[in-house]
Amino acid sequence: MKIAVVGKGGSGKTTTSAVLARGLARHGHRVVALDCDTNPNLGLSLGVGDRETQRLVTLREQVGESDTEHAVSWAEILDTYGTDAPDGVRLSVITRIENPEPG
Amino acid sequence: MEAGIGSLTRLGESAIDVTLVVVEPTPRSIDVARRGLHVADERGQGRVVIVANKISDDADRQRIIGAFGDRPTVFVPEDPAIDAADRRGTSPSDDAPDAPGVQAIEHIIDGLGLPDAVRG
Amino acid sequence: MTGSRRLRVAFVGKGGSGKSTISGSFARLLARRGEPVLALDSDPLPGMPYALGVAIDDGPIPDDVVVEGPEGGPRWVLDPRCDADAVIEQYAATGPDGVKYLQFGNLWGHASTLQRAQHAWSQVVREVDPDRWHLVGDLPGGTRQAMFGWARYADTVCVVVEPTAKSLHAAARLLNLSTATWAPHHLVIVANKVTDPAEIEAIGARLGRPVASGLPLDAALADGDRLGTAPLDVAPNGAFAHGVEALIDHVESLDYPRDMREPS
Repeated sequence: MKIAVVGKGGSGKTTTSAVLARGLARHGHRVVALDCDTNPNLGLSLGVGDRETQRLVTLREQVGESDTEHAVSWAEILDTYGTDAPDGVRLSVITRIENPEPG
Repeated sequence: MEAGIGSLTRLGESAIDVTLVVVEPTPRSIDVARRGLHVADERGQGRVVIVANKISDDADRQRIIGAFGDRPTVFVPEDPAIDAADRRGTSPSDDAPDAPGVQAIEHIIDGLGLPDAVRG
Repeated sequence: MTGSRRLRVAFVGKGGSGKSTISGSFARLLARRGEPVLALDSDPLPGMPYALGVAIDDGPIPDDVVVEGPEGGPRWVLDPRCDADAVIEQYAATGPDGVKYLQFGNLWGHASTLQRAQHAWSQVVREVDPDRWHLVGDLPGGTRQAMFGWARYADTVCVVVEPTAKSLHAAARLLNLSTATWAPHHLVIVANKVTDPAEIEAIGARLGRPVASGLPLDAALADGDRLGTAPLDVAPNGAFAHGVEALIDHVESLDYPRDMREPS
């Protein structure tokens, strides 16, 4: 199941997404949390910490700078631009949701 | 998603099963949520659930019901534990798993209609 | 105010940090000093009208004064019979303190529906007479629009940050604006929703520069938010209003080289 979370900045989108992701994982579901924000900070609310959240941002910025826009698989995105959050949630920071080719 | 509704407008049609529209009980937040709803409906982004956040009293509830009364709505209470986690940059799921706000968000899961997961 | 010096200030920061609240109040309090103020809102989900006390929040520059641009130029331009002054005169809303409010319209569906109005808005901002108006701008939450140079009309950019980890993250990235070719002359940190002076210290330490202004968390403002009442109407003499007055004084006191006034 794919769930999108929208709303005004500061309304609690990120907290809602993170708590929901962690809750789903605790219920035994496999969960991928995708941060589609151009200022990604979902990692903080998921509990991966400030450093790791910052590391993912830096990784993604480097993708933005190199002009090689090659089609990458979901697996590659989750692997390269992702990190493991508590409860088994996999967090990945993606630039734009329509860019990657489904793997 | 990005603040506002920009990312939603860029999604392909029917890419999403459920859209959660998070809204605070303020006219401005309700205005943005209305736009999000409009885009989600227009582009067929699955079922829509209103997540009414930071609800502190009945007047807050009525503000949300007045705007979105016909939509499935989950009410999440104003919760100092969530604010505290926000200040620290930590997860409310770690800091205060039993806090009312956290519990209310987790209740969203019950309405998703997911099959029971196999517990590892 | 010294001479004819007009302020050109824009507010950026994470969504929900209080940009619209502060920028709108800043514009109103500056106008109450008898100054001509043009409020520039480039947020397609505008919040500034709530703080300004402007009733209309959906007033784009109409498509019929926008025409296709010349070959090699911008895609859309103002009808040559209509200049920046005329647009402000005809299409900017007027707030209760006399602030003129110019926005590029509200996003309902796909962003392309705002293209003409946004081009026209940008042109007005480029061509507006800098000696006539103080410019006070509000950008959308987050980092995206700021990184694309939408605050380049401003020689002072205020980075609004509340004492949360996410807001600090956004603010730290926004300070990268100092590396842009069109970098503002001053990047000013404004701490908002402060409950303890120690938070101001912590924000300054984390961002590596001093906080110019600390605005208090005010429960009355949160109530006003819920009722849709502007901060200055909820608490006209409150600590928040005094803090914004002090911020105006601070921005006015900054040093601006003469060449900053020249169009680029």
